[in-house]
Amino acid sequence: MTGLLGLEEVKSALERFGTVEQVRSNRIKVKTIPEKIHEALFRAQTLLACDHLIQISALDNGQSFELIYHLTGPHGTVIAIAIELPRDRPEMPTTSDILPPAGIYERQIYDLLGIVFTGHPNLKRIILSEDWPENEFPLRKDWKPRPKTPYGGVRQEER
Amino acid sequence: MGKITDSLSRRLANWARVNSPWISVFNTGSCNACDIEVIATLMPRFDVERFGILAKGSPRHADILIVTGPVTMKQESRLKRIWEQMPEPKYVIAMGACGASGGVFQGLYHVVGGVESVIPVDVFVAGCPPRPDEIINAVVACLKLMKEDLAQGGREWRQKPVQSPMPGTTTREPGEVPA
Amino acid sequence: MPEVVLPIGPQHPALKEPVNFKVIVDGETIVGLELDVSYTHRGIEKAAEQRDFIRVIPLLERVCGICSHAHAQAFCTGIEEIMHLEVPPRAQYLRTIVAELERMHSHILWLGVAAHVVGFNTLFMWTWRDRETTQDILEEMTGNRMNYGMNEVGGVRRDLKPGQISSILSRLPKLEEQIGKYVGMVRGEETMLLRFRGIGKLSKAEALKYGTVGPTARASGVDYDIRRDDPSIAYAEVPWKVVTDTSGDVYGRTLVRIGELQESLGIIRYCLEHLPEGKIGIPAPKVAPRGEILSRYEAPRGELVHFIRTNDTDRVERLDIRTPTLANWTSVTVSLVNQNIADIPVIVAAIDPCLSCTSRITILSERGRRTAEMTWAQLVDHGQRFYRKWGRS
Repeated sequence: MTGLLGLEEVKSALERFGTVEQVRSNRIKVKTIPEKIHEALFRAQTLLACDHLIQISALDNGQSFELIYHLTGPHGTVIAIAIELPRDRPEMPTTSDILPPAGIYERQIYDLLGIVFTGHPNLKRIILSEDWPENEFPLRKDWKPRPKTPYGGVRQEER
Repeated sequence: MGKITDSLSRRLANWARVNSPWISVFNTGSCNACDIEVIATLMPRFDVERFGILAKGSPRHADILIVTGPVTMKQESRLKRIWEQMPEPKYVIAMGACGASGGVFQGLYHVVGGVESVIPVDVFVAGCPPRPDEIINAVVACLKLMKEDLAQGGREWRQKPVQSPMPGTTTREPGEVPA
Repeated sequence: MPEVVLPIGPQHPALKEPVNFKVIVDGETIVGLELDVSYTHRGIEKAAEQRDFIRVIPLLERVCGICSHAHAQAFCTGIEEIMHLEVPPRAQYLRTIVAELERMHSHILWLGVAAHVVGFNTLFMWTWRDRETTQDILEEMTGNRMNYGMNEVGGVRRDLKPGQISSILSRLPKLEEQIGKYVGMVRGEETMLLRFRGIGKLSKAEALKYGTVGPTARASGVDYDIRRDDPSIAYAEVPWKVVTDTSGDVYGRTLVRIGELQESLGIIRYCLEHLPEGKIGIPAPKVAPRGEILSRYEAPRGELVHFIRTNDTDRVERLDIRTPTLANWTSVTVSLVNQNIADIPVIVAAIDPCLSCTSRITILSERGRRTAEMTWAQLVDHGQRFYRKWGRS
């Protein structure tokens, strides 16, 4: 395992895409925009020796969708590249061409949150049942399950 | 075994059923702890195979269906189909908290509920997961039911008569606010 | 070729999970692969947003029964870091003991299942019998054989008495001896070598390219182990080694897992002998400050990742779980290409699929040939018959 990446090193490679900050000793977060994510990921792979995609975290923060790509390599530093997608048009080009594991992760995110990854070779249902209705994305904040069922399993009067 | 007026072959078949029940395990979306405890029951430590209990892959050869997991939406129709494929007399053991009501997953969006919401259940085993000893206990309870069913010639003896409410009380559904 | 007589036992379900294979083949070789992971989807991530930090732990422990402590631990590590909690060292050591016991029980379980898949039921029985020792120890420590409710945010819930420590230590040498026997069996047994060697080969470049994690990746020479790269609990203080191999096939993965078994035993022994005194937990605040963390943990199957975002309430705003089996599935599609149908069960079992994360594989060919639908049991059967015939010719 080689040494941790310094903030300056990551900044010089990725600063032109957006803000770079060090959140913990081995975590560096980069904020960028959807148009530049492809190139940012490519640069992280080539210049910063990031050969392992850990996760594509996807969440709905009420106003928009956030996608965070976590990459790491032999240096042990986790580089998180974050983007935001507008709520009314959650679309972005797929990254499975430069990051093959993203193929499965993107399908799961599409199924649960409804973010469309254009150019994905096989964007089909993967985690919800085949008779789950279309356009129902459970992990969105405004999605509620069938009425009168507390979906957390916590009794109604305790909330 | 069974009524004395039954034919010899029928009595033999009943004796074989009770003394060597074949089980089939079906996972309807569980976390696998229950499945592993069922397999641990077949392993040298608890070793139910010496009692004649065999674990068959296909439900068509099984007497007892052990269902694990809270029934997910995807598995609901398959569970029903598996149950229909089993030849009579068939028994269902619903394992664990998940089998009883959905357990810790009760009410989640992809979960239907306990096994009883899909197929009729004969024995519930408590635990999360139930220990192999408790599973053996459940199978023995199931065998007792089987014996009694064969002696009584069916399952009608198991239906409890509907209790009429005591005078002065009203019946209320759970969750309903009393008038 | 000398014929090896195997005591083939009765047909076991052997972790019969909802698995269905649709095989379209070119003779006996496979050309492509498709995937469907929905049988055990329960909606846990959404439910976790509704539960506070005490209630969410039992839910997360039951994401997977085999690696339940892994999920609870990844979550607790994340929340404790967001809350800036300093967990006492005794709690960290106890957590490490339970974590390594879980790794041992999972690897022994896997060894038994892999042996069963190739028809070597004796090893299946022996390994699961020895697994009972680990289950006994876990039951004494935590109260349950699986889904131990040991973790909470801020520490552990149960302590070890001195009598228990010596009792556990006295049982470890026998387990060590049995594990040594497995090494001999795997290395010398003709059936296992035939079915495992050269099957499902994954080169180091492929393993990295497709995002493989855990023993599957380490068997291909990829030197990633979260216990060393991103240590939590007590791994930074305990001396242990990462086990890797270079062969990249199923045999290599078997050796890596057995090596990890031996390492885990060493870690447990060290932790028990050097258990620090002190409290087993600190009271955690009810509300977590606004924050975000990616919590990584080395589950028995590989790198488990919990992404947690909190927003100043008593529950998480988002919990995103990436299980190691999902990361390894792409490598299965790669390593199955141009292999025999008879090897499908072995290759799939070699990544140690955590069944509550995966379910069905549909295998397609580009040219759309004749299809056959087989269940897992049928595939295992086919594999055993194929190799029995092959071995005789």
